[in-house]
Amino acid sequence: MRNVWTVIGFSLRTKLMTKAFLMTTAILALIVTIVMNLPFIISLFDEENKAIKVGLVNSSYPAIEKSLEEAFKQKQDDIILVPYENATEEGLLKDVKEGIITGYLKFEAAEQGGEQAFPKVTYHSEEDLDFGLQGDITAVLTVLKTHWIVKDSISEDKKLQLNEPVSFDTKKLKASDSGQLAEEAGEEEPAFKAESFVVTFALLILFFTSIQMTGNMIASEVTQEKSSRVMEILITSVSPLAQMFGKILAMFILGMIQIMAFIAVAVINLLLPHNQEALKGLDLDISKFDPMLVIYGLILYVFGYFLYATLYASVGSIVSRTEDLAQAVLPITFLSLAAFYIGMFSVSTPNSMLVKVTSFIPFFTPTSMLLRIGLGEYQWWEFWLSIVILLLSVLVFGWLAAKIYRTGVLLYGKRPTWKEVRKAMKAYKI
Amino acid sequence: MKTLQLDRIVKQYGDKTAVNEISLSVEAGEIYGLLGANGAGKTTTMRMVLGLIYPDAGQILYNGKPYHKGLEQLFGYLPEERGLYPKVKVSDQVLYLAQLRGMSRSDADKSLKYWLERFQVPENYNKKIEELSKGNQQKIGFIASIVHNPKFIIMDEAFSGLDPVNVELMKETVKELRDNGATILFSTHRMEHVEELCRQTTILKKGQAVLQGTVRDLKAKYPREKVILRTTGEVVGLEQITGVKQIDRTETGYIINIADESAAQHILQQAMSQSTVEHFEVKEPTLNDIFIKAVGGESNA
Repeated sequence: MRNVWTVIGFSLRTKLMTKAFLMTTAILALIVTIVMNLPFIISLFDEENKAIKVGLVNSSYPAIEKSLEEAFKQKQDDIILVPYENATEEGLLKDVKEGIITGYLKFEAAEQGGEQAFPKVTYHSEEDLDFGLQGDITAVLTVLKTHWIVKDSISEDKKLQLNEPVSFDTKKLKASDSGQLAEEAGEEEPAFKAESFVVTFALLILFFTSIQMTGNMIASEVTQEKSSRVMEILITSVSPLAQMFGKILAMFILGMIQIMAFIAVAVINLLLPHNQEALKGLDLDISKFDPMLVIYGLILYVFGYFLYATLYASVGSIVSRTEDLAQAVLPITFLSLAAFYIGMFSVSTPNSMLVKVTSFIPFFTPTSMLLRIGLGEYQWWEFWLSIVILLLSVLVFGWLAAKIYRTGVLLYGKRPTWKEVRKAMKAYKI
Repeated sequence: MKTLQLDRIVKQYGDKTAVNEISLSVEAGEIYGLLGANGAGKTTTMRMVLGLIYPDAGQILYNGKPYHKGLEQLFGYLPEERGLYPKVKVSDQVLYLAQLRGMSRSDADKSLKYWLERFQVPENYNKKIEELSKGNQQKIGFIASIVHNPKFIIMDEAFSGLDPVNVELMKETVKELRDNGATILFSTHRMEHVEELCRQTTILKKGQAVLQGTVRDLKAKYPREKVILRTTGEVVGLEQITGVKQIDRTETGYIINIADESAAQHILQQAMSQSTVEHFEVKEPTLNDIFIKAVGGESNA
């Protein structure tokens, strides 16, 4: 155990102080800062375009025009309607060209039904209207159309009811002890759990980035030790198991330091005055974070990390030159990519069969099971079963990796075949 | 007392036998030389002694016991190819390796500083290995292997890449370690080092021990076949003496190869009768001669 600490201390000291590490950390922190302030930076260039001015050409539908104008005045939206009385085509075009208005709306009689029917509305401008704004205008117009058609045939009360949105709630059903489906007692579940979503997503990204960042570091450290033949001295002084886990733990701590630095940078940026608005807009309630989800998520994260780290270490020990490393770690990279994307693409369908099955495959458990406990359905035994499988595979792969490590470091020259590795492995105790 | 015993150890790689039934034993305070051409099995033998690889047959005993835990701390190993981190500071890595061998950091630091001083390179303490010359890297590797006062020192080509001054320095150090009671196994293909340092030696050829014994015995076994003669004037008729195989004239005299030692006396008489003898010597074979004889012309060592 003392040796593990010696290995950790040495690996941390030599890695932490390298220029390369400090530089990448600084550059990545800078990127985080830029990305977080990007909306603000863009808004600085964007000040005058906040609301676009749209001309409203007077025509034979004064009632509709008036209501439309009023509706947008109340909404104080991104659109300011500027009424044009008796405007000529030339005058409008001139104003568009000079930028006084971005475009104009024109009402024309519908092709069928003539004056009595709701008119056709056309937007004329140099550029397409933003989808959101289009939606806003259509929504208001739809309401106006309803009113236009029903006219006075129903009472004002009924008209108001007509405008009310449909009430739509979700209620969860859960199997009771007797096996019957029943409504879950207690609070109504909101359709979308923003807090769980944030935790799940954060852990998913944390898992992927830390494996990507430190996995390659572990593998290349081992390969370097091997190619410089330090390994021969190391193996004659420390057990390979202590050596490998020391290295993995050191890189884990290193990765954590790096990630903590990024999180700190992100938090500092969020606390800057101009980003306060955005934070409020997210509408997150700290008290709603589920502590169990965070704890379970971290358990999955740590075990998952060690599973992948041992794989990287064993691959690093088989390769004897750094040039061959990138190719050799490719299968593991694909594995971690698959785990990440299963998580990412299944965010909206956390109860799908794919997620259920993969949550019991140790390489995917850290993301799939996380998704299920964060956003989907799961039984407590399913969670613990997947944890046991994951833990067992960490032990098995850890043992196997140590064996490969012990063997691989003495195989030089070309990349050994699996047959050679297997044969050599039989010969060594860890 | 025999501190290190190898008993008929065998190592096979595939169908190639790298080491075949080699036995040897070393005492505390002794330097044992392993000689051999490239690929003769020296490094494989050393790796087996270190427990890096296991013999397929035979056994290795340390102080009478087979390989056991805790032995790692008694080993000092200098691999043929340095075995240092190129991008790490000398102090960092030497202290690390010493700590792994069970030494405390402060003791290791004291020891490292002593050895750097001893090798006249104290300024390298804070330098990275890649910044040092090859000879200085070799010195650091040497220090790294002995900094923790090991009881078993295994050195693979310890003096390669060093200039004569530093070779002397290292030789002095190795002798000192020997006198302090370390058991030293030492491989080289420089015969004069073995002759100077080792009490016993094994000459390996393709995994076989072709010659084994003390350096003196080996030499005694091989007849003295070379006569060096220096005279003031010319000596003629030497080739007619029975037993003379070949005569080489040099600037100062003759080097005569003889078939048996009795011919030497006849050469001396002949020379004295014709001229004044300044120098007469029946040379014993050098280890180099023995090596070439034993291993044969196919070796390039």
